[in-house]
Amino acid sequence: MKKQFLTIGLAASAVLVFGLTSCKKEECHECHYEMDGQEVELGEKCDDALEELEASGYAVNGTTYDVHCHEH
Amino acid sequence: MKFILLFMALLSFTLRSQSLEGKIIDSLSQIPVPFAEIYILELDLHTNSDEEGVFSISTELPKKFQIIVSASNYEFYKTTLSNTSSERLKIYLKQSHHELEEVTVSGPKSTLQRNNAVHIERMNLKDLNQIATTTLGEAIAKIPGVYNTSTGLGISKPVIRGMKGVRVVSMLNGLRIENQQWGGDHGLGITSLGIGSVEVIKGPSSLLYGADALGGVIYYVDEKYAAQNKTEFGFSTQNESNTLGTTNQLWFKKSGSNIRFNLAASLANHADYRLPDNRFAANSRFTDNSIKSSFGWNRKRGVLNVRYTYNTTNAGIPGHSHDLVIEESKLKVQEQSREQRLPYQDFQNHYLSVDNKWFLEKGEVQLLLGQTLNRLTEFEEKLTIPGIKMDLYNSLYHLKYKRIVNENLSLIGGVQGMYQMNRNDSKASEVLLPKSSMLDNGAYLIGYYNLKLWNLQAGVRYDQRMIHTDEEFKGNSTYNETYEGLNFSAGAVRNKEKYTYRANISSGFRAPHFSELLSNGFHHGTLRYEIGNLNLKSENATQIDLTFERHGDHLELIVNPFYNYIQNYTFINPIDSLISGLPVFVYEQLPDVQLYGVDFGFHFHPHFAHWLHVETSYSFIESQSSRQVSLMPQNRILSGLKFDVKDILFFKSNKISIDYNYFFKQDNVSEIEAKSPFYQLVNIGVNTTCGKKGNFDVNIGCKNLLNTEFIDHLSRLKNIGLESPGRNIYFKLTYQFSN
Repeated sequence: MKKQFLTIGLAASAVLVFGLTSCKKEECHECHYEMDGQEVELGEKCDDALEELEASGYAVNGTTYDVHCHEH
Repeated sequence: MKFILLFMALLSFTLRSQSLEGKIIDSLSQIPVPFAEIYILELDLHTNSDEEGVFSISTELPKKFQIIVSASNYEFYKTTLSNTSSERLKIYLKQSHHELEEVTVSGPKSTLQRNNAVHIERMNLKDLNQIATTTLGEAIAKIPGVYNTSTGLGISKPVIRGMKGVRVVSMLNGLRIENQQWGGDHGLGITSLGIGSVEVIKGPSSLLYGADALGGVIYYVDEKYAAQNKTEFGFSTQNESNTLGTTNQLWFKKSGSNIRFNLAASLANHADYRLPDNRFAANSRFTDNSIKSSFGWNRKRGVLNVRYTYNTTNAGIPGHSHDLVIEESKLKVQEQSREQRLPYQDFQNHYLSVDNKWFLEKGEVQLLLGQTLNRLTEFEEKLTIPGIKMDLYNSLYHLKYKRIVNENLSLIGGVQGMYQMNRNDSKASEVLLPKSSMLDNGAYLIGYYNLKLWNLQAGVRYDQRMIHTDEEFKGNSTYNETYEGLNFSAGAVRNKEKYTYRANISSGFRAPHFSELLSNGFHHGTLRYEIGNLNLKSENATQIDLTFERHGDHLELIVNPFYNYIQNYTFINPIDSLISGLPVFVYEQLPDVQLYGVDFGFHFHPHFAHWLHVETSYSFIESQSSRQVSLMPQNRILSGLKFDVKDILFFKSNKISIDYNYFFKQDNVSEIEAKSPFYQLVNIGVNTTCGKKGNFDVNIGCKNLLNTEFIDHLSRLKNIGLESPGRNIYFKLTYQFSN
């Protein structure tokens, strides 16, 4: 009984700890930039592509526009 | 709050060298007292008496040690014993209607509340949660003189007598918590997981805690380990209607003869909170997860405790807008969500401490070493590029020597310090503070003297803080400065029968913080551009604090007036300028600020109705200066009725609590601050225990029962008119098993 009790306790604690450190899911968002006061949609971007777009912006005819991928 | 008095007839006692045995007996009826708790203070070790009132603790006992015996409906018993004898202990407890007094550990010397020359407010977290709270911040704001400044529900920090942020030091089992608390929008950094009680020292406390303890100290104390040779397992789930929120906790405790450990974990997830008009506060959602572990080892000559806590908080920042005129529909939305969206904060905190105590012939030596890491990330405009990302590393030490000179006189001396480093992540788009470091060192000496009914305490402390930047920062060259502080505290307490009289004078100092000296950048969390001031001087405070207490069988009364004089008071002030559309704020100082007020409380437990408890506290604070200080809390009355209800079917230990809280209007505001009208809240809760062995606790209730529309004066959402949460029905189930 004592051993069972100990095992249950440790297992339950372990499950919760693992729950806290579980893997991140893929992150995708709709992105857009603003040109001449109008929002131009760029579609859904995920993970590395999303990060790259936010960091570097979106170039149109030699002009780079700041990209936002969220409702703000 | 528990009311504990001391009565003892110790017929004979002696102890076997490595075991303590005895019996707990009712002084009136002479029958055994079952399930009393017997606690050895030095070892943080406890056990319970059995059905016959018999107990036994087998461990390596120090030569002299204090035991504390407590049992429901009995007065408190405490005495000092030695391990040189071998007879059984007999302890006679006197019946009591209510309990109020417990041992405090936040001072340099663990002692009964009543014997402290410094007034320390101590509350069990369980008592603060008779009506359940959503966060730890909300719970401690029920303590007289303690408030909570918040940005929604997910971000909050404590306020003591109007002081907050870097003026309040938070400690976790002796480990100082450093988590960028200078930021108005940076939260507490710990949850209620595994916290057993909270102690509050109001006002300057630099003698005990060094620089920054100018406004006071909040000291969180962990729950005890399981009783000796016992194993405990438990879980709780709390569900709230307002945020559709859940808080789930799980814990496991095991204690052997000399080794014990605790493990615990917690997950909390809350969606946007519901406003009284049934709309929702946009982006007020948050998650708060923690794990906690502690390990204890008792030896003949000492005791070791190793503790580690990890906490991660992800909180949306409600009320955030760059618009000059904020559309109400953006702040108050029709749909509730828990999905992460911009802007939000992500906090990660690691707290590690190693605390060892060695017992000597006439005293003890204690060494605490600690390491903390606070990782703050704020996302504002971009999902993958943080606006701010800072790591704050803090390494701490505290070496303390306690010497018992004779039965009346004891001395405590110590050295204490920390080394703090602030580092910026290059990935962040904005750098608010430079790469910098800070070194604190302090030394203190405190004397205690018992003179019949009097306990006297006096001490002095010297501190030095060195601040250093490693790089040029936005046009400023590197910065190196040393600040010094010499502080003192002196106090006396007199206990006679039912009355306690206490007077204390103490000082504190606070060297300017990095952020106040060196800021130069956007702080998106507060929507402003902040500029530091290199000409700031150290703040100094001196407080006089008086306490009168009456401890009756049916009436407990406390009156606690204070006066605090602060020099070089630092504050942040807007100037008529914008940078990239955000208002510019600079740090300035007022030559002096006076704070004064009173905390008053009573607990009435009428003889003719032992099932009834009436509790009230009144907190009053005023400030005076050449310019009104901002964010002074509203004066308030917190009152509660508690009814003990007889067992109904399989529901036992039933309690009904009704709170009525009145917050006075606040007209004393600074030039940039809005006034706040009065408001009143009614909360109700029912607590019961059920199950064959009483393993289940059920709490159910409703906060803001009348769905009152209000904005607390300390809410950071006040200026945009975003109300606090409306009605909130909660249900909490706790299961505990022990063998």
